[in-house]
Amino acid sequence: MLKIIDVCKRVEGHGDVKILLQNDDISLVNFQFDIYRGFENFLIGKKLLDIPKIVSRICGLCYASQAIASCKAIEHIYDIEISEQTILLRRLLMSGELIKSHSMNFFFQTLPDLLAIFDFSQKTLTPYELIHYDPQLASNLYELIKIGNEINILFGGRSVHLISLIPGGIIYSPSRKNISLARKKFQNALNNLEWIIEKFIELFSNHIPPKEYHFPHFIFVGLSNYEKYDRYSGNLTIKQNNKNLIEFEKNNYSTYFGKEKDLHGIDFYFENKKNVIVGPLSRYNIIENYGIDEIINYLDYFNKSWKNNILFANFIRLLEMYIEAYHGIQILDDPSLNIREQFSPLNSVKNLDGIGIIEAPRGTLIHHYHLNGSNSIDRIKLFIATEFNIPLINEMITRYAKELFEITGDINLVKKDVQRIIRAFDPCISCATH
Amino acid sequence: MKPRVTIISLTSCSGCISTLISLDIFPQFLERTRIIFFQFILDAKNIEDTDIAIVEGCVSEETQITLLRDVRKHAKKVYALGTCASCGGILSLSSSKVADPISNYIETNGIIPGCPPPSKLFGNSLIRLVENKDIILSQKNMCGNCSLKRDMKINSHINIYKIIPNPEEITLDEENSECFLKNGILCLGPITRDGCEYKCIKMGLPCEGCMGPVSKDFTSNLINYLSLINLSQELKEYAGIFYRYSKPKFRR
Repeated sequence: MLKIIDVCKRVEGHGDVKILLQNDDISLVNFQFDIYRGFENFLIGKKLLDIPKIVSRICGLCYASQAIASCKAIEHIYDIEISEQTILLRRLLMSGELIKSHSMNFFFQTLPDLLAIFDFSQKTLTPYELIHYDPQLASNLYELIKIGNEINILFGGRSVHLISLIPGGIIYSPSRKNISLARKKFQNALNNLEWIIEKFIELFSNHIPPKEYHFPHFIFVGLSNYEKYDRYSGNLTIKQNNKNLIEFEKNNYSTYFGKEKDLHGIDFYFENKKNVIVGPLSRYNIIENYGIDEIINYLDYFNKSWKNNILFANFIRLLEMYIEAYHGIQILDDPSLNIREQFSPLNSVKNLDGIGIIEAPRGTLIHHYHLNGSNSIDRIKLFIATEFNIPLINEMITRYAKELFEITGDINLVKKDVQRIIRAFDPCISCATH
Repeated sequence: MKPRVTIISLTSCSGCISTLISLDIFPQFLERTRIIFFQFILDAKNIEDTDIAIVEGCVSEETQITLLRDVRKHAKKVYALGTCASCGGILSLSSSKVADPISNYIETNGIIPGCPPPSKLFGNSLIRLVENKDIILSQKNMCGNCSLKRDMKINSHINIYKIIPNPEEITLDEENSECFLKNGILCLGPITRDGCEYKCIKMGLPCEGCMGPVSKDFTSNLINYLSLINLSQELKEYAGIFYRYSKPKFRR
């Protein structure tokens, strides 16, 4: 058996593609990471107040999501209600993070692939070439990265590993100047996104996406709030083949999936686990609609061939940025942001288990902490979006690699195309190697 | 001739990379350099001759040492980006993993510290690198210009019983007047390099040392500091207060 390992390019973090060749046939393709940092181990025994800023360091792209999921788990342990203002500010930070993360992924990782897949360019464009290819598109996308970043600085204190996020509240000093600045940023984001979304429609909507990116069967997992788009609150939902909707409280997640002893990977307690997907496409399929008229119009440009294709996630990411900027402006109009609030004190432990769930840019994120009899953390389970997606990614790349190699016999082509499928999922390797 | 730049990532959260890309001057940096290797945004596979190499992340695996040496061989100058590459970083909390700064294996020409590196320092440092100048870092500790220092003198034993204020005790910059140490809250400002613009302190939280020590290493600085403070029994037993961003250094 011949083992070929190729470093995956243009992904966030370090991951490899491993291809196993047996008797001139591909037997297996795996997207894998060799590094495990062990956050679930070294967080044991840490003080609850100390944990959010440590877990933020799991990921430099989903830092706000990690810290907020952690705060929610700790608030569950203390059984405290946090203020509406805290929720609004956390939502703003999540929006800034999502806009930055999605726009970076689109600019550097998936747009060059899309242009090559649909024959707009002969090769995969570098950022230098992309700037020359379409200066306006590049400039609008770069502006989005900066807007997301600035929202995080305004309400989080710095660009990543935000200082303001603590259990029980958020460190915040009302400032009309900051609110008005943030409003301008979100408005700019909306203007840029209208242009980018229309450009995407113009470039790609009349094309049929290649079938190798198609996924025929799927089990979508994500948060939904009465079937509305909501990444902060709501119930977990599992939707299979557009039916069998199961909605359950966060505390019951372990009926459906869990983590065994070695903490690597997620175990699903239902059939067809290789079809599980989380992230923008899941959110799109789980919710009824996004509640914004413009979005409904944009979606109408794409026919059925796109809807079960992983490349459609690129378009959904653009729409999600639009939705978050739109909601961001609404949040900034809320009068509760003009007052200075007191924190909810963390008095006494009420639950030995604390579970915090949110939708990170790449999908469902769960933090589950368990305390022992002396109120010290003795068990931690982190469920990360990319970990949910790994079985499906591996299923899709193995299936496609086998077909492509059988037809062409070109292993370099296989290596290249397999990586495009991986990038379409926008994997977060930092998170996955926590 | 534009300088050729190589950017490599070791074990990290990628936060330094996302901060780099979000910097106001990043488009200017792209324009004034020729980036030849940067896995986040380019397909390039091999390490080639380069003028500037920037390394983020700590060394936690054997294979990274080979990569680092290869980079050093091909680069005129090598800089450590962020606290992981400069000091070891957050993985220092792990008792089972190695978390080494890159300077344990190769000679470096400078560091851009911080978790994440503060935008102003980061931007200024990149411009200096493009202009073939060395990075300038503050040689002072945090206390020098701290607005909370006032009458606090760190020359007698200080009793410390907390590492973070309780949420309801957090006061923002404008209302806060007292040094954390005075209230029994551990602040690593006295042994941490200035340059972060006091972001945590302005938000009512003590310094946790992410900029690293002003000179020498964490361990030698800590020995001085520990001679001045009395830690509560609970904190003495709490892992990862001082060595949050670097492992203890004991050379035989």
